[in-house]
Amino acid sequence: MEIRLRILLLTVLLGLSGSLSGCATLHHLFGHDAPAAAAPADEGASTDRSADEDSTPPRVIQPEVERRNVKVPRIKSQDIELGGYIGTLNIEDFGAHRVFGVQAAYHVTEDFFLQAEAGRSKAGRTSFETLSNISLLTDNERWFKYYDMSVGYNFLPGEVFIGRNHAMTSSFYILAGVGATDFGGDSKFTANFGAGYKVLPTDWLAVHVAVEDRVFNSDLLGENKLASNLEAHLGLTVFF
Amino acid sequence: MLRCARLVSALGALLVLLCLTVNPRPAQAAGAYVQVFVRAPYLELHTGPGRGYPVFNVVDRDASVDVLKRYTDWFKVRTTSGVEGWVAAHDMEQTVLADGSAFHYDVGDLNAFTSHRFEAGFFFYGDYGGASALSAYGAVFANPNLAAELSVGEFLGKASNGTTVDLGLAHIFYPQARLAPFVMLGTGIVRIEPKATLVQPDDRFEQSAYVGGGVRYYLTRRFFLRGEYKEHIIFTNRNQNQQVDEWKFGFAFFF
Repeated sequence: MEIRLRILLLTVLLGLSGSLSGCATLHHLFGHDAPAAAAPADEGASTDRSADEDSTPPRVIQPEVERRNVKVPRIKSQDIELGGYIGTLNIEDFGAHRVFGVQAAYHVTEDFFLQAEAGRSKAGRTSFETLSNISLLTDNERWFKYYDMSVGYNFLPGEVFIGRNHAMTSSFYILAGVGATDFGGDSKFTANFGAGYKVLPTDWLAVHVAVEDRVFNSDLLGENKLASNLEAHLGLTVFF
Repeated sequence: MLRCARLVSALGALLVLLCLTVNPRPAQAAGAYVQVFVRAPYLELHTGPGRGYPVFNVVDRDASVDVLKRYTDWFKVRTTSGVEGWVAAHDMEQTVLADGSAFHYDVGDLNAFTSHRFEAGFFFYGDYGGASALSAYGAVFANPNLAAELSVGEFLGKASNGTTVDLGLAHIFYPQARLAPFVMLGTGIVRIEPKATLVQPDDRFEQSAYVGGGVRYYLTRRFFLRGEYKEHIIFTNRNQNQQVDEWKFGFAFFF
């Protein structure tokens, strides 16, 4: 009886082990390792992989870099110069008087620039008017108003030194142009030419000293003649 | 004396205002400048924006500089050690941006002359029916061939002075050529101020129409020369309309 019972239990055990042979747990338990069985086939590949891993450092952090669309900032240009000036204008036959004006320039290259100027002054009395005590012009007609457009050329660029530590760039320039002058109740086509010197205390600020002649045909005092009106002024301009 | 004091105080106020409003170093955040890397053996920094100004510093290959501003063909840069100087445009072309692309600054070329949106110019020489004339114009382009133009001028003659305002269309033939001819058609207003005689006549405003043609010649960068002829018909109150020939020659730029 006892022997029969043992045979029955052993038979059940064998039967169970045979029917559960597909179970991974039991496979593992009994040492049936699938990768181990496939190992001989992958042997060569795994050798290569290990060689690669030796040459590249192990990745600690997986990079997740998104390519940014970088916008290049705009470079500020400083080709435009705006400013004003004050000086003395010698109005032919009418004496020398204070002149005020504004100027704008566009620098085309380091050598050439275009410049527009507009200014006004008020003429005095001619010698004849003073002596005879009569007025040839009304008060309104004595305003000498002009504008011009010129081409300028920078030359002799240099530096001005103040002490040991400060240097300011400087340049001479010549200019010539055309414009119109409103004086004595008439407007005249006017040619202007001159020369100047500018010093730049900073990159954006310039101090000008300039002398210009404004020439036009005048018949104001009876005869037709070329009136030459010499102007000297001190200007201050800002570069934009 | 009082006027002199006023003048000095006004100038002083203007100076202060200028100093306050125009900051030499605009409040741009760090990194707001274009950064370029030197690819030539070295980059020369000049003391001023011109070929006559001496070289006072050099930047080594692979070092970077910030481009602060441009004046004509010169760029003001700042090195990583804070030295500021001026670099010529042809030297800047030897640098690259952070992404490796070459630094390029568009100063205009023949392609831009062919196709652009706006242009403006000033006519230095002009003759309006025998009177000396000065004028300026602006134009907007619909396409490389067709532009709408507005021209404002002043003529100064022996018999009369006056002002003209013209609005019209211009058609450019061969806009891709350096020398490009064009034709114009338009209308305008002319204000004629007869010179004073014994009897002072009134100023006259008249409507006009014009047809004309000319040439444009590309110079360099954004600049070109322009010469043109217009035949104006001024519609007067008299029995006959007045015909005026206008020649002018000038300098213009596009943007």
